[in-house]
Amino acid sequence: MDDATAGEGALGTGDPTTKRPVPIRGEITEIVGGPSSGRTSHLVACLRYVASRGETAALVDTEEVFDPGLASRAGVDLRRLLWVRCGGHRDVALRAADMLVRCPGFALVALDLGERVPRLSTTLAFRLKFAVRRTDVALLIIGRRRLTGSSAALAIETLREGIEWAGPGAAPTRLARVRTTTRVLRSRRAAPGWPPLWWSA
Amino acid sequence: MSRFGCVLVEHFDAAAVERCEPALRECSLAILSPSMDSPNVGREGAPTADKKRAPTADKTGAPTAKMMMVLEANAEAREQGVRPGMTEPEARARCPMLVTRPWVEEYVVAARHALLEAALAVSPRIEDGGAGLVYVDTVGLERLIGDPPSIGRRLVHQARAIGLTARVGLAVSRTGARVAAASASAPVTVIPPGRERAGLAKAPLAVLDLAPDLAATLARWGVRTLGELAALPREGLATRLGPAGLRAHDLALGLDHDPFRPWTPPPFWEEAQGLEWGIDSLGVLALVLETVLERLCQRLAAVALAADALEVRLGLASGGHHARDVSLAYPMGEVKPMLGLLVLDLEAHPPQAPVTRVAVSAHPIRTQAGQGGLWQPPAPAPRDLVSVLARLAALVGADNLGSPTLVDSHRPDAFTMLAFSPPTESEPPDRRWRGRSLRQDPPAPGDQASALADTRDPPGEREHRLALRRIRPARRVDVGTAGERPAHVDARRVVACAGPWRASGEWWDTEAWARDEWDVVLGDGALCRLVRDRLTGHWFLDGLYD
Repeated sequence: MDDATAGEGALGTGDPTTKRPVPIRGEITEIVGGPSSGRTSHLVACLRYVASRGETAALVDTEEVFDPGLASRAGVDLRRLLWVRCGGHRDVALRAADMLVRCPGFALVALDLGERVPRLSTTLAFRLKFAVRRTDVALLIIGRRRLTGSSAALAIETLREGIEWAGPGAAPTRLARVRTTTRVLRSRRAAPGWPPLWWSA
Repeated sequence: MSRFGCVLVEHFDAAAVERCEPALRECSLAILSPSMDSPNVGREGAPTADKKRAPTADKTGAPTAKMMMVLEANAEAREQGVRPGMTEPEARARCPMLVTRPWVEEYVVAARHALLEAALAVSPRIEDGGAGLVYVDTVGLERLIGDPPSIGRRLVHQARAIGLTARVGLAVSRTGARVAAASASAPVTVIPPGRERAGLAKAPLAVLDLAPDLAATLARWGVRTLGELAALPREGLATRLGPAGLRAHDLALGLDHDPFRPWTPPPFWEEAQGLEWGIDSLGVLALVLETVLERLCQRLAAVALAADALEVRLGLASGGHHARDVSLAYPMGEVKPMLGLLVLDLEAHPPQAPVTRVAVSAHPIRTQAGQGGLWQPPAPAPRDLVSVLARLAALVGADNLGSPTLVDSHRPDAFTMLAFSPPTESEPPDRRWRGRSLRQDPPAPGDQASALADTRDPPGEREHRLALRRIRPARRVDVGTAGERPAHVDARRVVACAGPWRASGEWWDTEAWARDEWDVVLGDGALCRLVRDRLTGHWFLDGLYD
């Protein structure tokens, strides 16, 4: 994450090798979108990116939707991942994320809030922001809508553009890949545009 | 060459209490006991080792009311004339500022073990000589530490590190070393080889811990010092006093005849604290735990060890006990994270009655010091990680926390949770793969599933893989079909679908499974995975592609 950000100044917002957004250390990044828009795929790609650099990541999974099998096939080193399952309790998930961002050493703390994103007061959002800055952790929040408002350094919306099916005959037998694009909702600095991505099933 | 060292802590019962309450070191302190049935209690210069202090009872077996008597007094109290064997009013008459404490067995036992472990950090061969008395085999230590005075200073330093002030004597024999430590005023006294008789000559006879009748006989003869005893004819002593007289003569000459009995440390090290009244608040209990842990960590630090497991035993006012085992994810010797873990555990499992006694045991292990590689990325410090994992476990439950590990099965969503312990190798997995040629063997099976993933998919494919948001447990849905293909899911229209992808497994077992997977796009745009259980015919929503 450092390399990616170093070449683009203090607020790096892209990984030049993968052409997709990468969360920033010491800042809050939000990825929002509707169902099947590619939010979780971005999250898994970020986890893989962190693990591939030998760093440690934590995932606070509010609705327990994370699939370790697919993540492993995507290249995530599961040994470097701390998975916290919150059983659908959003307040517990927020408290767990708050604890984790105060522990120095994690490169990425991901908070998957799912479809029902709670309200977060400005005070709590600022508290998260300053905790993240102090420990130099990248906090990535995934959800249906934004959570931290102006405390986030980067907010991105994901959109699905198309689906490709595969199969020998006229009736497809497998989902082949999904094309998504991103739209920057908020960026403290000018963010580069990212090209649409194909996600293989 | 000196062969033995003797570590002696005078007035050990008082020293053990001072170790638990360091503020008492500046006070005149007396340790009180309701009764003293041992004739050796409080004898000057001798360690109060194995005194029995059971409350006396009358002929019916019921304990009788006893006046509190001075069992031991520290040096400040002795300067004021307080002596063991006095009654409490007599001692207070001599020293109005006298501070008294009851005799607590746990303090003495813990201090005794602490002293033994501190000596063990200097020499691997030590012998337990009683409370406040440790014999150390110093053969070979010259090459490690230096001359005998240096060895003695190291022993004094080790004792001071655990809160005890000791005197050390070094001599060829244990008796010589003990007499040197007991009779000298300097912290370290060395009797050179061949000078034992001269070195011991001026020591009083009381340091030999002789039987009372033998000591009385020698006193009647006018023998006051070891030199006078050593000068007596051996044959005459054998005739008049028998084997006991010969043994006393040998001791006066500085000769040991008893075999050296090496002491081995117990698997758990314990520190305890008795409480004068019951504690029913976790906050107050945490303060007591902190004090106990400080003493325990002092002992560990003195011998460069760390603890990998803690055991807390709380004595309750109801008469029962409350015991908790806390395994530490990482060997540690710091008070703060240990205290945090204990408090979190006791918060989750509180005692059922006020606490009257606190004992903490630690399992000591030797840790391997290591330095991370220059290019090794930073990771959470073990101390921080253990603390945050404990707090998270208290928040979400220990079962919901850890690293997922894939199970060797084709069953979908088969994984287990392991305790989070990130690998410490300096190179990340990708970098390791980058340097590997294609002809080289794939990683070992224990090298985790990510390495297996590397063998299945080229890196470009893995980089952008579509994720599935699992629904756990899979939600049963009503599916209307057209032919065999799904057409409606819970009254939502299926826009497009692909499948079936047939899978089955463990047909040889009672846990057999067989399913058809369908990827469907619903009318609201959701891209889902539907599953039809071929054993029951039911449809389930397995997850949502995202």
